Amino acid sequence: MIPQLVTVRVRRSNGRRIRLYIPVVPVVLVLSPLLLLAVLGGCIACLILHISPAGALRGVARVLWALPGTRFEMEQGRAAVLVSVG
Amino acid sequence: MNEQRRQVLEMLAEGKVTADEAERLIEALQRQQPEAPPGRSSRTKARPKYLRVVMDAADGTGGDGASRMNVRIPLQLLRAGVRLTALLPPVAITKVNAELDKAGVPIDLAELKPQHLDDLIEHLDDVIIDLDDPGSRMQVYCE
Repeated sequence: MIPQLVTVRVRRSNGRRIRLYIPVVPVVLVLSPLLLLAVLGGCIACLILHISPAGALRGVARVLWALPGTRFEMEQGRAAVLVSVG
Repeated sequence: MNEQRRQVLEMLAEGKVTADEAERLIEALQRQQPEAPPGRSSRTKARPKYLRVVMDAADGTGGDGASRMNVRIPLQLLRAGVRLTALLPPVAITKVNAELDKAGVPIDLAELKPQHLDDLIEHLDDVIIDLDDPGSRMQVYCE
């Protein structure tokens, strides 16, 4: 399953909090023209480096599919960062 | 089909055993087999899905307060990541090998097959690292 929601929470040392909830699918749809260009660029780079573009795409897709469940949380004094992929 | 059953069938084909004997041998093999799978299935049932790294450190010299880190990585992501290494171009592998050699780590990355890395991740399940220090604590485990 591809990631559905990426949550980013930042708490600065002055106590200010930022919370971002990023719905992945709508964002990917909005950015799809840019993504298409990036994929094309990646394929050309693969051909230059003698890497199978299909293999590379499969590898990247596998990484994306495996991302849900990832969580990174760090606190330093009053400052904190949380990135969670759901 | 497992190897032993194949051997019995080959013996039957070569005429070394009769059909009755082959049947009895296969039945005997089937009686032996159920002992292994339950252990394996209970192991797969409890198979961990995530690699967890937890670190707690008391206030250091910087005076920024205590630090805490909590990272959860799906093991599937590690597997997918190591499979990407198979895509490294030969030119890059040669360069990396040369740099590793220069740094005193004579490892040939070309010898590192994705299968080996997969096996490594498979056995991460049993890894528990627990470091205790007067001012900090770090744990690495699978859950």
